[in-house]
Amino acid sequence: MERPSELVVPAEPVWVRSAVLVPAFVLVSLVAGSLPSFSLSANLLVLCTGGLLFWLGVSTPMQRPRPLPRLPAAAVWWIVPFGLLTVVEAVTFLLGSTEANPTLSRLADPVLERYLARSALFFGWTTAFWGLVKR
Amino acid sequence: MILSLVLTIALFATAVALIGIVELVSRREQSAVPTLGEMCGFVMTYRLGWLPVGRIAVLGFWWWVGWHFFAR
Repeated sequence: MERPSELVVPAEPVWVRSAVLVPAFVLVSLVAGSLPSFSLSANLLVLCTGGLLFWLGVSTPMQRPRPLPRLPAAAVWWIVPFGLLTVVEAVTFLLGSTEANPTLSRLADPVLERYLARSALFFGWTTAFWGLVKR
Repeated sequence: MILSLVLTIALFATAVALIGIVELVSRREQSAVPTLGEMCGFVMTYRLGWLPVGRIAVLGFWWWVGWHFFAR
């Protein structure tokens, strides 16, 4: 009787492991927290970090969870929060993002001026980005 | 002006809270609601021929979010 061939799953490279990625993301976030908005260095850091993750997400084959074959009807529940977010953002944007009707980014500006908050949110952004790359 | 500001903040906070609630519901055992990650994974499967349009759209949107909040 012929032995069934074993399913070969390619091993993930070392740099994909959390022990490597988390310190790297922390390091980049600590630097990002010190870079003010509109500065060339902040633009370069976001463009390079995002560009690298974007390229990895589009081009690199990885072990990814099997996607849903089709969306269940209950997926419409996601329209409620994201619909509300979109409507409020659109209305405040159309009203000119004033002090009385600020957009989300205007509301976030005072928070992002603080080093720790900026670093923590940048870490959240890169971690979520990596979550999307792995999808 | 203050009422308008409070209302705007409350609406944003409600939207964020609802995202958290729907995600929690989706993570319950045998939930019919897909998780946010599964939703993103589904959108990212969309292709136009050889071009992974869904992946490019989702990853590109998230890249833009980072640039909008941290760089611009």
